[in-house]
Amino acid sequence: MNGKRIAVLMAAAGLMAALTACGGSAAKETDSSAKSTEASAAESESAAADGELTFTYLRDDSTTSFDLHQEITENNAFAIDKVFEPLVMFDADGNIYDYLAESHEISEDGTVYTFKLRDGLKFNDGTDVTSEDVKFSIERHLEIGGPLPIEADIKSIETPDDKTVVITLGTAYTPFISELANFSNGIIPKDLEGKSEEEFFKAPIGTGPFVVDEWDPSGDLSFVKNEYYWQDSAPTVDKLIYKVVDDDNQSINQLKTGEVDAVEDLSFAAAEEVANGDGTKVITQNSWNVDEVFFNTLDEHFADVHVRRALAMAIDREALNASQTHGFGVTANSVLPAAIRYHDFDAVKALEFNVDAAKEELKKSAFPDGFDTTISISSGSNIRLQEAQIIQAAGKSIGINIEIDQKEIAAFREAFKGFNFSIMINSATADYPDANSIFAFQVDPEGFSKCYWTSYVNDEAIELLHEGQTVADGDERQEVYTKLQQLLADEVPYIPLYYPENVVGVRDNVEGLEILPNGSAVFNKVTKN
Amino acid sequence: MTDKIKKKNHKVESDKITASTRSAFNKSYRAWFIKALLRALTVIVLVMLAVFFIIRLVPGDPAVMVLGEHADEAAVEALRQKLHLDMPAGQQFVLFIRNILTSFDTGISIKYGVSCRSLVLQYVPVTLSLILLSMLITVVLTVILAFGAAMHRDGILDHMIRIIPAFTEGMPVFWVGLLLILFFAVKLGWFPVGGVGSGGTAFWKSLVLPAVTIAFGQIPPLIRSLREQLIEVLDADFVVTLKAARIPKRQIFIRHVLRNSFVPTLMLMSVNLSYLIGGTLIVEKVFAVRGMGKLLFDAISNRDFPLVQAVALYCAIFVVIISLVTDMIAHRADPRMLE
Repeated sequence: MNGKRIAVLMAAAGLMAALTACGGSAAKETDSSAKSTEASAAESESAAADGELTFTYLRDDSTTSFDLHQEITENNAFAIDKVFEPLVMFDADGNIYDYLAESHEISEDGTVYTFKLRDGLKFNDGTDVTSEDVKFSIERHLEIGGPLPIEADIKSIETPDDKTVVITLGTAYTPFISELANFSNGIIPKDLEGKSEEEFFKAPIGTGPFVVDEWDPSGDLSFVKNEYYWQDSAPTVDKLIYKVVDDDNQSINQLKTGEVDAVEDLSFAAAEEVANGDGTKVITQNSWNVDEVFFNTLDEHFADVHVRRALAMAIDREALNASQTHGFGVTANSVLPAAIRYHDFDAVKALEFNVDAAKEELKKSAFPDGFDTTISISSGSNIRLQEAQIIQAAGKSIGINIEIDQKEIAAFREAFKGFNFSIMINSATADYPDANSIFAFQVDPEGFSKCYWTSYVNDEAIELLHEGQTVADGDERQEVYTKLQQLLADEVPYIPLYYPENVVGVRDNVEGLEILPNGSAVFNKVTKN
Repeated sequence: MTDKIKKKNHKVESDKITASTRSAFNKSYRAWFIKALLRALTVIVLVMLAVFFIIRLVPGDPAVMVLGEHADEAAVEALRQKLHLDMPAGQQFVLFIRNILTSFDTGISIKYGVSCRSLVLQYVPVTLSLILLSMLITVVLTVILAFGAAMHRDGILDHMIRIIPAFTEGMPVFWVGLLLILFFAVKLGWFPVGGVGSGGTAFWKSLVLPAVTIAFGQIPPLIRSLREQLIEVLDADFVVTLKAARIPKRQIFIRHVLRNSFVPTLMLMSVNLSYLIGGTLIVEKVFAVRGMGKLLFDAISNRDFPLVQAVALYCAIFVVIISLVTDMIAHRADPRMLE
């Protein structure tokens, strides 16, 4: 009896010891792994005492790579653009201006681009930036291709002197200058300063305002200020922390309590709460996005232009926008986002909401008595579901029975990329600030997306697309794109619903935070009062 | 009691009996242990097989999840090749087994680009600490409340202890978590809203609310079970006899009642542990705690095959070991269970 009791006690004690040992070592391990953040937190506290500024920016996904030629998604793009910078930059209206280049010149025929670099440009390790670095950067991008390949037909890149780069194209390609403004055309040092790719992109060397400090590819990322930065008295932030939290409630509550200074990309409902909240406000910026309804024209119903027009006229897009975006979106009239040049609210007329006209239009189609179909959306978003329900009701009003099919995002993508849908709602995004970025994706049946998986083919539209790629910027290009937008508005292979704004939630004391139309934040002039 | 008297009177004989029972016990215990070990290994192998093939049957392409909707086929194909996703499933399986056997790893995470084992090792301590803390809270509260209820059987206290937790049991975990955040973190500011604090105190402080949230769901069935057990034992003949023999109440309780109620509750806790690991998944998300749950959640939604496999492998091993250890303790405590 005694022996057994001792055995039981020992076993129980053993389990407890094992568990506490686990816990103990667990705590210890976390301590060491967290030491970095702890140190940084302590640093930021003591730093704050010295008048140094730490800014914590909450994002919903971690940065997994700094290889600018291999990446496309926002989690990486908006970290890459803090370290690497392009020759030219875009503003909120889609205009291109000189950045690392002091000036640029495009030849009359649109084939020769000449860039002059700024004086005194340095990489964050103190090395001078030369034209050779620019040449190397573009050549590496051309060689890799990657998810954001340079579409321009580059024939040669010459470097007549340290400060001059001459790029010659085989054929004129007007969107080229906008492509160059992309994060993926940032300038990296020639031959990666002799380092291996792995080594280089772990501690990337660029001209940007920030230098990577501590980086957990599955979690937080911190930057320190680049002492060699070329912009006067920038950045004002000494330490920038990207904190990863992917839960809406968490994000808002951490902003409310001041655990973070700002939250990237708020949902519309959250935006309203933060805008009206105590101690918090929002910063908004027009985006390169447009939320659209896409028709699969391989589907017998939606191959018929009258069916597409009928459904478009049955949807009250003004009401849809008002109910879904909480004032953080604008009803769309075109597939071109409002923040991109050649968008025009007046010149392009979308089909107006009119149920009677919609019924008339459906009568002209091969399915005058209506039919059954399905609308596909990705699950997990209330907004998408409500939009689908509004469209479902609109369909019902003219005799089209629409069933809602929700799929988890990965499955949703697999389905529509296999042209396996009838109608879907999705968000289209320009990859660079040129109308061509949207149209090449949505008009070109030869393109890999086959007109955003709609398989829509229209010869006139294709012709206008190609014209827009070669005509120089100006009135003539405006005319081409207005014509193209109106054509698509009449044919409706997709119904543009609204232009969502980029909404960033910030603490009241934050000033000077700038949001770019692609959604990236600029911390160069941020202050906290 | 009768046993006891006999024992006192025939001590020598009783020792002989004990010795022979003990050797019989050891023999059947060894047989049981070998069987249990084999069963545990089978479970792990089956889990690995199931996870490997099921995650590949689910629609969705990991390369598309990494590159997004805008990357063209060439870029997606290049990534698929880099990740060996272009290989037939059989070949991928061989590679996977080889990885496990040579480095106890399942490969490089598709999403994060680092070794899955290192990710698991980075995230395990947080989850283990969370489980430990919630178990501690659960055990302390369960024992106190169940005792309170059992001692005041059918009194007001008993009813309250039985009814109130039933309400909390019915609340969804994320909702309980949210309420705790709003009250204790946002309003009172006693705890951080979320995330994992760095350094001893901040670390444990940040785990308090998540642990309480988990405990909320765990405690009610445990209280009911322990209370039942306690009452059953309290009513048992031997306890009545002990009372009649004027053995001090405290001694009866600690030496006899508690011991006899211990095994069923331990078994229940061990079963609950598997649920607890599952439960941390949601709790980690609600509290933005970066642990195994969060890692698994992200791995599945990104179709990060190697990472899903790594988390499943390590979790399966953990659960199997825990249930093996609890079984061992239970058998030592109550040899009747071997039969």
